Amino acid sequence: MSSIPHRNTWWKSKKTVKVTRSYPTFPSLNAWEEFRGLLPVDREQNPGVTLGVEEGLLCQLLHSPEFNLFPDSVVFESNFVQVKRGRNWIDIYKASNTMALGVTSSVPCLPLPNILLMASVKWHRGQSQTWNRPSTAPNIILKRILPLKFVELQVCDRLQRILRLRTVTEKIYYLKLHPNHPATVFHFWIRLVQILQKGLSITTKDPRILVSHCLVPKNCCSPSGDSKLVQKKPQASQPSESLIRLMAKGESEALSQIFADLHQQNQFSFRSSKKMETKKDSSVKDTSREDEDSIPCTRDLSWRESFTYGEWERENPSGPQPLSLLSTLAASTRPQLAPPIGNSI
Amino acid sequence: MAYAYLFKYIIIGDTGVGKSCLLLQFTDKRFQPVHDLTIGVEFGARMITIDGKQIKLQIWDTAGQESFRSITRSYYRGAAGALLVYDITRRDTFNHLTTWLEDARQHSNSNMVIMLIGNKSDLESRREVKKEEGEAFAREHGLIFMETSAKTASNVEEAFINTAKEIYEKIQEGVFDINNEANGIKIGPQHAATNATHAGNQGGQQAGGGCC
Repeated sequence: MSSIPHRNTWWKSKKTVKVTRSYPTFPSLNAWEEFRGLLPVDREQNPGVTLGVEEGLLCQLLHSPEFNLFPDSVVFESNFVQVKRGRNWIDIYKASNTMALGVTSSVPCLPLPNILLMASVKWHRGQSQTWNRPSTAPNIILKRILPLKFVELQVCDRLQRILRLRTVTEKIYYLKLHPNHPATVFHFWIRLVQILQKGLSITTKDPRILVSHCLVPKNCCSPSGDSKLVQKKPQASQPSESLIRLMAKGESEALSQIFADLHQQNQFSFRSSKKMETKKDSSVKDTSREDEDSIPCTRDLSWRESFTYGEWERENPSGPQPLSLLSTLAASTRPQLAPPIGNSI
Repeated sequence: MAYAYLFKYIIIGDTGVGKSCLLLQFTDKRFQPVHDLTIGVEFGARMITIDGKQIKLQIWDTAGQESFRSITRSYYRGAAGALLVYDITRRDTFNHLTTWLEDARQHSNSNMVIMLIGNKSDLESRREVKKEEGEAFAREHGLIFMETSAKTASNVEEAFINTAKEIYEKIQEGVFDINNEANGIKIGPQHAATNATHAGNQGGQQAGGGCC
């Protein structure tokens, strides 16, 4: 089908810098760390990268020649400190040890992430645990890959920014977002939790409906990492949650007002423009996931035009997929876990 | 740490045969009698030396339980070696080997080296599968075979290292195209230049020699 190559086209336009694969030979992790420090610093325009939630350490490791896993899928990630319950939350490991937690898709065209990634990160002594391409890369080790359908992610303690991660085998992790991450990042995780729990009310497989969705709004953040989303809505203490709720209800009109506040001068990048063209060209309905809530966002969607898209976004598969890909689609369906124990949102 | 080659291994087999314990014994030299069921993939890594060359083993420990194997098949991709494990005290785990083997052959490259492992050899009194049966199965299907005990560490090192030796020999014989990542072999940076000459030089065993 002629529509299939379009996916590649928009993706290639997204991945303007092939971070590690540009290296012609396969380096050791150390060597890889060395040349990683030589990467061009030209991605500041992407707030996801600036915030360290896209193209971070975990993504670089995953896409490095050593793993070369899900190379065309974006990784949304943050660093967490593993804690345990006590009178207060207690750090389990030394401060130099953190956990990189991320989600991605086994196939980039899936509308929702279906893979959870966990990696241990050991920072060098005295090294600032920031996530934007540290000059000396910490020691990061990929520990496990979990299909998200076997995982339940909850917001456990909003104030302390703690997530509760429970696997179907009842292994439970309490993960506190690293204090160096700005508040915005935790809002993204709240939003992700919401999406994973309830799906996207606006999920549709109908390519005629120009649905775009991104976890990291392109224009919400200042380079400092603080969110204009937060700054510009002083009346709402947690605007991202408001967004989530509103989005879940399909309140596009209300959203359009909010997004209008967020609207900045550079609404449309060349990249997103290309993407929209691609979507318009899509005409074949994917029938492989019709059990998804196929919906009904028939209202005015013009508010979305005030957004440019982050790397993390869903995309309608535009055309039949190879059988090899179809088999993985099942992985994105979530089983029914027991009712949550913690204070989920 | 620099290495000459990286070999990707995948450990497969029925649930409860001791796949994760074998990995833990090999990477951490310890045994954990109770282990959570593996879901998805857990990773381990260790450096070994073969023929004077540092080789990094990147080991993918997969879920054995059918219900947790949702995308396991995609993990076969690019594996240079597989450890196919059964439990000598459970006949059913041996009976399922054919299915596992078909799965592995179907989803991996044809040159993948497969080591058949009869684990829990320390539980001799509860043995249900004779060693000869394991040997016969391996012979019939062209596999290497060992009995191991993750608990006592018996033959664990050997199982991993012998698999690597077999892969290494295949590289030397030119069976593996080491420039093709689908074969599960990656060349370390120091060997990248050397590799250019080796690629076309497919004869005989390479003499010892350290890392370049």
